[in-house]
Amino acid sequence: MGVYLLLGDPQDPWCLAVRCALEAGHNETLIIRNPFADPAFFSWRLDNEQSTSRLSWTGEEPLTGDRISGVFVRGPAWIDAAGWQPDDLAYMLAETQAAFVAWLWSLDCPVVNRYPAAIWYQPRAPLLLWHPLLRRCGLPTLETVITNIPQRARALKRRLAGAGVAGVVYEPLTSPARYLVTSDDEWERLETMQGYAPACLPYPYGDVQCLCVIGDQVVWQGSPVAEAARLEPALIRFASAAGLAFVELTLAPGSKGLCVVALEPFPRHDHFDDATRQRIAALLADLLVAAPDHRKAMPPGSPQ
Amino acid sequence: MILVCGGLADSVTELVCARLDDCGYAYRLLDMGHYPSGFQINWHWRNEGPEGYITTADWRLDLADLTGVFVRYLGAEGRASPPNVVAWNVPAMYAEYDSGLMALLEGLPCAVVNRVRGGMSNGSKPYQALLVRQCGLLTPPTLVTNDPDAARHFYDECNGEVIYKSLSGIRSIVRRLQPDQLPRLSLLRNGPAQFQAFIPGADVRVHTVGEQLFATRVRSDAVDYRYATREGRKVEMEPTILPPAAAESCLNLAHWLDLLMTGIDLRETPEGEYYCFEVNPSPGFIYYEKNSRQPISAALADLLHTGVRSPAQHAKEMLM
Repeated sequence: MGVYLLLGDPQDPWCLAVRCALEAGHNETLIIRNPFADPAFFSWRLDNEQSTSRLSWTGEEPLTGDRISGVFVRGPAWIDAAGWQPDDLAYMLAETQAAFVAWLWSLDCPVVNRYPAAIWYQPRAPLLLWHPLLRRCGLPTLETVITNIPQRARALKRRLAGAGVAGVVYEPLTSPARYLVTSDDEWERLETMQGYAPACLPYPYGDVQCLCVIGDQVVWQGSPVAEAARLEPALIRFASAAGLAFVELTLAPGSKGLCVVALEPFPRHDHFDDATRQRIAALLADLLVAAPDHRKAMPPGSPQ
Repeated sequence: MILVCGGLADSVTELVCARLDDCGYAYRLLDMGHYPSGFQINWHWRNEGPEGYITTADWRLDLADLTGVFVRYLGAEGRASPPNVVAWNVPAMYAEYDSGLMALLEGLPCAVVNRVRGGMSNGSKPYQALLVRQCGLLTPPTLVTNDPDAARHFYDECNGEVIYKSLSGIRSIVRRLQPDQLPRLSLLRNGPAQFQAFIPGADVRVHTVGEQLFATRVRSDAVDYRYATREGRKVEMEPTILPPAAAESCLNLAHWLDLLMTGIDLRETPEGEYYCFEVNPSPGFIYYEKNSRQPISAALADLLHTGVRSPAQHAKEMLM
């Protein structure tokens, strides 16, 4: 009988929840923070014909790749910064992540998620980068403007005001922060920001609803409105096209109906209540234990 | 109309602009050394891709008029510091500038050399090696390890004919593992490294440009010819023709990665087999064009002018 590896922080709540679900089915599990550094001994051989890997710890029986039944991935490998020069640490992190993503693709067992390089290296990519794929899969996206011209931002303000909307959202592309811009003072500050960098201004949206796609299942936080539930086939199509067996999306009503307003390739635990978390963890365990390998072929670098 | 995004201090960008001038193809330069200073942009995502424009004091470019975009992102050293920004915030500002541009280029329907996501595989050489295997090129016997004993065993198994190089996209000089370096293998406990069996033969650098392919044979006795002159060794280059199967594999690799232009590092063994070491999504092709006199930049200029779309993207859209 094989072992299920959970790669992430031993305190990561999804790791713990999935371990619980797997162990409830009498599956052996192992949480590893970094399989590529002391105390683990890692080696992976690759050539034209084969790929074999081995993980071991001093005094313990080695774990070969063919004994790994499934892998649950919760993020890049962690390295303790203590004792490292900043440049050396950056190099070692890059080397470790490079080994990590490739090794995940070399394994024959189910891996959730077997991240395509484009997502592995840009997990916080702006939602705009996902727009083409979201739309092709039938998922509406928010109208968005990027501009460093104050007059264009003000024109947007007037247009929205005409439609009864009090302001815009300012969303830096490299940060999850979002700011509602409504008062004169906030508009002034937005114009100041535009002097530094073009501002990304998605149209305002209403109350959000989180969901996870797990394999071919959609689990909603709370009950989805009918319009949201109708998007389930598109959500599943999207997750499959993106190469993600576990992904969180956030929907919200925009000016023209329900839209995707956020996407998280490493789903958040705190966005879901206890009952929903348990359901997600059970589905993840099912996916690791029972599902066929999600890997169809090496993906293109782009999820487009 | 063509948009070139890059810095004129970058010799590749400079060559692309010069070739576009030679060909008489109209283009605009978005100087990333100073962007966004001096540029006014207004991009709007509605239901389809982005619409809008870029203006400067001298010109206006409507996104709808674009047939092609060439982009080479700059490191901090190639950019002017944004005014009135404290030093520790500058990298974040550069990231913000680049993210907006990446989002724009990702959504444009014209030819883009190259969209950023296609190039992400270059962050992991073994990840690319897995792709290479699927595309019909050979990958050298490789060991990725943090285990000194495994590295020593691999060294012995390869009769000491082993090279080491970075796993990631961080550029490293390929070097042979020497006997006097074996005691340093204990440092592997800090993190993984990549070792490969040394493959004898001649280096062949392939540039794919859309459906065109330029192969350059490199003659050098250096392990890593890119650094040959540093070691006092010579490098000679000449155009060569790949066997059809190897050429098709290179084009397939580029298609899979959705890259309209690539630089692919091959080695041809004395037995006529082709090993692939790396696919570069932002190749410094000027070095090869200068030394082999192959018309790589002219092919790129034509591609940007005619605006051919990525075959991979087209195929994906068909599947949806």
